[in-house]
Amino acid sequence: MITREEADQLEKLMGQLGGIHGELAALSKKRPSDAVNAFKLKFVNAVLLQCNEILGADYSPIGDFQEFNSDDVPSNSDVTFVAAQYLQALEKFRSDNVILFQGRWLYDLPKNTPEMRASAPAKLKK
Amino acid sequence: MALTRPRLTEHHGIFMPQASLQFAIPFLCEDLPLYVDPFLLWKSPSQQDKALHLEMVNSFNHLGYMAKKGNAEEAVSQLIMGSECEEVGLGVSARRQGKRISRYQAEEIVNLFQRIPQYDQRGFHHFEEIQFYIDGISRDRISDFACNFIKSFLIDFTMDECERLGIPLEDCTVKQFYDPAKQVFLEDVPHRLPVNPESGRPLLLVPKRWLRFVPWISFDDYFKGYCPRDEIFNPGEPQTHIRVLNYNRDNYGIVEAYVRERERTADDCKSDPLFSQLPVISAKRKLSEILKLATGKSDGADKRYEDAVVQLMASLMYPHLDFAEDQNRTVSGTHIRDLIFYNNRSHPFLKELFDDYESKQLVLEIKNVHAVEREHINQLNRYMAAELGRFGVLVTRNALPKARMQDTIDLWAGQRRCIIALTDPDVTQMVELFESKQRLPIDVLKKKYVEFRRACPS
Repeated sequence: MITREEADQLEKLMGQLGGIHGELAALSKKRPSDAVNAFKLKFVNAVLLQCNEILGADYSPIGDFQEFNSDDVPSNSDVTFVAAQYLQALEKFRSDNVILFQGRWLYDLPKNTPEMRASAPAKLKK
Repeated sequence: MALTRPRLTEHHGIFMPQASLQFAIPFLCEDLPLYVDPFLLWKSPSQQDKALHLEMVNSFNHLGYMAKKGNAEEAVSQLIMGSECEEVGLGVSARRQGKRISRYQAEEIVNLFQRIPQYDQRGFHHFEEIQFYIDGISRDRISDFACNFIKSFLIDFTMDECERLGIPLEDCTVKQFYDPAKQVFLEDVPHRLPVNPESGRPLLLVPKRWLRFVPWISFDDYFKGYCPRDEIFNPGEPQTHIRVLNYNRDNYGIVEAYVRERERTADDCKSDPLFSQLPVISAKRKLSEILKLATGKSDGADKRYEDAVVQLMASLMYPHLDFAEDQNRTVSGTHIRDLIFYNNRSHPFLKELFDDYESKQLVLEIKNVHAVEREHINQLNRYMAAELGRFGVLVTRNALPKARMQDTIDLWAGQRRCIIALTDPDVTQMVELFESKQRLPIDVLKKKYVEFRRACPS
């Protein structure tokens, strides 16, 4: 079960991370070893830190990875890879917190909280 | 061990990249292969530069006036005195020493004022034109005349820059100093200037914006594209420049037309940079050449690898590291360091290298080998002393074998000496960054250093 705020935050993060992944995957196809500049990296790290908060240790996708170190000059393909892992972890977390109720997928929220529609788990969509 | 190719700034502990300074940093042991082009002052939008050009031309024309007034001997002596300016250190001398022109050459120059009526009547507009009439007068001499005639300004400029940067000034004697008020050269004039610590002679700084490899008005350019060869030479005759010089004396109109043409295209005249980075396309070509080379020495692959890496690294590291020298021999001649940079400390990482490893200069050893051996590590370790500090970079093809990596870690653990290996993938990434400009190529060097430090015992 998650709170309404967590569900909102989860949807927001999945959107942001999906955007990052899409942008960098396109760059990565063209120039995989080119580095991500400091501005983008700062933004990516901010999103990853929020993901870490919501996922906690149980859902953390890559061991003790927390964020990118600018000194490591991460490449487009590095960031794409990590973003994909986080997207998978967020989806797993989301799938574990949605329920099918009367034919509709809803977030599993505490009682007396207005219901919140969710999309079906990705693995069921396929 | 002294600094390799020491420059004035590093000698005084001032670590500024050349790109951030207004003047060309003089070497202490040799000349800079650039020249002051008076045309750059003429075309400059700055009123000061234009005034200096006028001053220089007036001073030169005054020699003709002296000759006309029957004082040709004095004019010749003055010209000889003004024909060498060692203090600026421009040219190709390996020892910062030059020679004055001969008496014969000086007489020939002074005679031009009588020989060519236009000069007799109105003097020179561009005194570089003397190249077109006198044998042995070239860009270095034009530059020296120019510097000597505006030496008073150069002294002020040098003092200002030195005070700004904290370069100490000392009492010294300037060999010849042009007094603009009296319009004569004075000898052995006392001044306060920076001095060359090796020779004790004064040094003058020259603004970068006046420097070119070849003057805009140049005899070579004229000879190649403007002089009417069919009029000067008979068919099949060897085309010597002496014939052209003689022809020019009798055909001033041709020279005048050439000078007018150069004035018309003055917008194309730009000062030459002290260092030109490779264009991105060339950098990629060099990288591709490197990646295609086989390891080892077959077909001179090692030499080609070294050449390509030197050119590539000098461009990739610019402007944070100024190229100092490649294939540098130690005093004894027993070691040849492949590539040395001045550490300007203009990047936090470079400052860290200076603070932690005392690297005033950075040494790169280039090895085109499949696997680095213990001897290669030891060789670079031997170079890392005194001014080169305790940090070295090994540019090689593949990652260090585990045992060699352990050797470098042991060196750090035992002696706090750091050897970083830059491999083909690292150089590739540096070139990518050079092209995309997303990060600095030097960040890859920092990345390797950070990775190395993580592997070291804490």
